[in-house]
Amino acid sequence: MVNFFKAEISGFGKYPKALCKITRPSNPDEIKSSLSNGTSVIPRGLGRSYGDASLNSKGYVVESLLLNKFISFDDRSGVLKCESGVTYNDILKTFVKRGWFPGVTPGTKYVTIGGAIASDVHGKNHHKEGSFSNFLISFKILTADSELLECSREKNSDLFWATVGGMGMTGFITEAEIKLKKITSVFIKNKTLKLKTLEELFEKFEENDDSYIYSVAWIDTIASGADYGRSILYLGNHADKDELPYKTKKSEEIKVNYGRTISIPFEFGFTPLNRLSLKLFNASIYNREKENEDYIHFNRYFYPLDSVLNWNNIYGKNGFVQYQLIVPEENGRTAIDKILHKVVSSGGGSFLAVLKKMGDQEGLLSFPFKGYTLAMDFPVKPGLTDLCRELDKILLDYGGRTYLTKDSILDENTFKKMYDGKWQKWLSVKQKYDPACRFRSELGERIGLCQVF
Amino acid sequence: MQVSFGAGRKDRTMSGVLILGSGSLIARACASEFASRNYNVYFAGRNKTEAEKLANDFHIRYEIKSSGFEFDATNFGSHKDFINNLFELANDIEYVLIAFGYLGKQEISQENFSEAEKVIDTNLTGVVSVCELIASYFIPKSSGTIAVISSVAGDRGGQSNYIYGSAKAGLSAYLSGLRSRLCKNNIHVLTVKPGFVDTPMTYGMKIPKLLLASPEKVGKDIFKAMLNKKNVIYTPFYWKWIMFIVKLIPESIFKKLKI
Repeated sequence: MVNFFKAEISGFGKYPKALCKITRPSNPDEIKSSLSNGTSVIPRGLGRSYGDASLNSKGYVVESLLLNKFISFDDRSGVLKCESGVTYNDILKTFVKRGWFPGVTPGTKYVTIGGAIASDVHGKNHHKEGSFSNFLISFKILTADSELLECSREKNSDLFWATVGGMGMTGFITEAEIKLKKITSVFIKNKTLKLKTLEELFEKFEENDDSYIYSVAWIDTIASGADYGRSILYLGNHADKDELPYKTKKSEEIKVNYGRTISIPFEFGFTPLNRLSLKLFNASIYNREKENEDYIHFNRYFYPLDSVLNWNNIYGKNGFVQYQLIVPEENGRTAIDKILHKVVSSGGGSFLAVLKKMGDQEGLLSFPFKGYTLAMDFPVKPGLTDLCRELDKILLDYGGRTYLTKDSILDENTFKKMYDGKWQKWLSVKQKYDPACRFRSELGERIGLCQVF
Repeated sequence: MQVSFGAGRKDRTMSGVLILGSGSLIARACASEFASRNYNVYFAGRNKTEAEKLANDFHIRYEIKSSGFEFDATNFGSHKDFINNLFELANDIEYVLIAFGYLGKQEISQENFSEAEKVIDTNLTGVVSVCELIASYFIPKSSGTIAVISSVAGDRGGQSNYIYGSAKAGLSAYLSGLRSRLCKNNIHVLTVKPGFVDTPMTYGMKIPKLLLASPEKVGKDIFKAMLNKKNVIYTPFYWKWIMFIVKLIPESIFKKLKI
């Protein structure tokens, strides 16, 4: 018997929502029992993908949260073996103080390792060090026929590359082996540059990308006219403990973890984010920031938004969509410029917009390739789908695509054009391991990846 | 390479904590509180593999001594050997948290006595059996703390879960007596009465979100109460007031409520 409860759930964007039967197994045998009665399942971690990737209204949503044990850690090589429900928070709390840091980290620590694999998450270091899979050695996955397979670049490699970035639709990852990297302090040495135009920003990316492993830019998507394209570029490297100024070392060294977090426990009835407030907010970011070099604690550097739990609630009950796109390096600047113009002229604007340079990536459905990525948040309201469709069109013209982890709008045709050559290969692996499509999500069905063969 | 990351590990060796019912999320959360303060933690549960995996996780996470054992609360005959062997292996145990329990399904308990028996055996008989053995180990050394998870359901029996409730009521009464008997031996007994907690036990129940506490919150409350030698705690605290009111309702009215 499967012990489940019914609830209306959503991804982090709170859009769309679906009534799902949720199970929370506490060991691998219990996962098998949710698979055994013939209905479809989709794995879910902390529900941090934005759209409907972890929703399945036709069967079970199987949460990995109780499968969260460390299995082994080698303190010479930094290789960590853990269950798939272990979170970045667990890893940071345990290993930062011993001098180890995740190879790749997304912008929140409330992500499970299973989720990080399924989205092949990237971070500010993608241009130098690639995405999560570059630090992934192997994983174990429970496939549709209840078999537990070990996958790596050598073993079952087809399933390895289909699962990395495969949005949970190839099986349930039970455990993984990942490599952490050595650090000697908890600080990032950060350099901030304020830029007036997009051209300037792109130039600075080119100029600095080699010497900094972390780089990301914030763009004001409200500013138009003379201020159009104003942005701030953040460049960083892990600081060595010997270079830290005495004061920094003493003041914050012991605070390996966490200031206090506050929480927004309920959805706002209306969203305070309108054109005026966004304009003020974006202007204040730009004007507050100074060009300088400083040492920033990793929590503040990588996870600034984690200090407000459930910040997604400020978008109200309608939720929001994060549109993250990538365009190839060639003509990429023109494409980004076009897209930004479209957004600015739509008057929609984005609460936060970030731009970053990316490198190549191997996973079949992994998002990144060599080029530029831009992520924007839009509150869900009439006209949003139209705007996204128009942006999709520009993307297709330039050979770009969007990130499935953030997606809730893409249609099958557009997806297949964006991931042409990739989705066919992915589907053939899916057919091999899951011909009846037991691993199914709303996302998968929408973009045509959940067919029964 | 010597890395300086602040205070780091305390070198002080702390005593050990025994968790009976290692599958319990509350117990695990409470164990984390102990382990993060360098207490050694011993897990015992029905599923030996899971208990061992959990112990291994704690060893990696907190750099403490931790091990897992097999323990079946309803196999009363096995308890004596289990306790004797365990306390021989882990002679630093100063704290015990008894966290196993079984809610069952009320309707099934009504129709099928073996289900009712399982509920009573797990929640009451099993605890009595193992508690007396632990007490006999603590008495000679005149120290030790035993915390047991009872339930607010034991404060007043209602139609929705009175088989479980009666077992927990019996348990609370048993603990009150045990506490009184052992206090002269400097052994402390804590009765924990949690309300609704977000664990597999409450899956699928229609519980208002505001009344559903996290296992972490409850685990932390238990940890504090164990160190502060509290006698009876409700967790979260407001259940004390909820149950105060529930107990005040006259029987003539209460019997008609669907509680």
